[in-house]
Amino acid sequence: MTLKVLAIDDSRTMRDLLQVSLSESGFDITLAEDGIDGLDKLDAANPDVVITDINMPRLDGFGVIEAVRAKDAYRATPILVLTTESSPAMKARARDAGATGWIVKPFDDVALASAIRRVSA
Amino acid sequence: MTASNPKVIAVCQGELSVSGDPNVVLSCILGSCIAACLWDPTARVGGMNHILLPGRRNDASGHNKFGVFAMEALINELMHIGGRKTNLVAKIFGGANTFENGLGIGEANAAFVRDFLEAESIPIKAESIGGRQARRVRFFPESGHAKQLLTAEAVPIEETKPPKTPPRDRRPAVPPGGSGEVELF
Repeated sequence: MTLKVLAIDDSRTMRDLLQVSLSESGFDITLAEDGIDGLDKLDAANPDVVITDINMPRLDGFGVIEAVRAKDAYRATPILVLTTESSPAMKARARDAGATGWIVKPFDDVALASAIRRVSA
Repeated sequence: MTASNPKVIAVCQGELSVSGDPNVVLSCILGSCIAACLWDPTARVGGMNHILLPGRRNDASGHNKFGVFAMEALINELMHIGGRKTNLVAKIFGGANTFENGLGIGEANAAFVRDFLEAESIPIKAESIGGRQARRVRFFPESGHAKQLLTAEAVPIEETKPPKTPPRDRRPAVPPGGSGEVELF
């Protein structure tokens, strides 16, 4: 079964990187350009895994995690944070909001694919 | 205005630094490396990174991952001190072809940073790119002003000042040991 991934990042360059990396790893990917766009696309994407950046305009990654977790249909959907940030305080905030994991950029294609498959198993 | 004794922070290869302090000057010496100086004129905060090579050797995807992350890390640090991505303007320096055999590293670096800034809709307000001379660049992060000094002759290798400032003033663009780290909660 092809896993569906919703990837949310405000950087066009980063979305391009994710498109290539995740497509080549065999995932069905939907891209969103910030937290609001991600929530708008959530139901249509019906993702098995959500990947979100933290620092974004309009709605940041913490807001995404809280909003996704507030929907009954996505209470158990794994959410991976993918960011250049690495502070323990930010990780703790994401974990408390309901994130499943934290990946520090630059990401490795194989490690990212492996993490997606692991959390969706 | 910058005070008579500004605090000079040397930004070495692979590092970045941000500030909104009018008494701070960010400095680097560039050969084929690229430095992107980003400034938010509303928040009056700015920062500089120093990219040695945008791409990863043997990166099958052909994408310039390390440069991308160095740029994103700089933007994120500016957001932490009050900057907004949509306000940012850029001044870019470096990308000289300082090797006699013309490896094209400087040109590749310049192309990378121009492409990135265009994709992210960050306008380039000034640039000094290419040539065969190394540059010393000084960027005033509060005012957004920049100065450069070209060396008299081409230099054979990348030069970098040893760090003179404590680590808290600057940090690696990519966290040591943290790159690619996967932590499941």
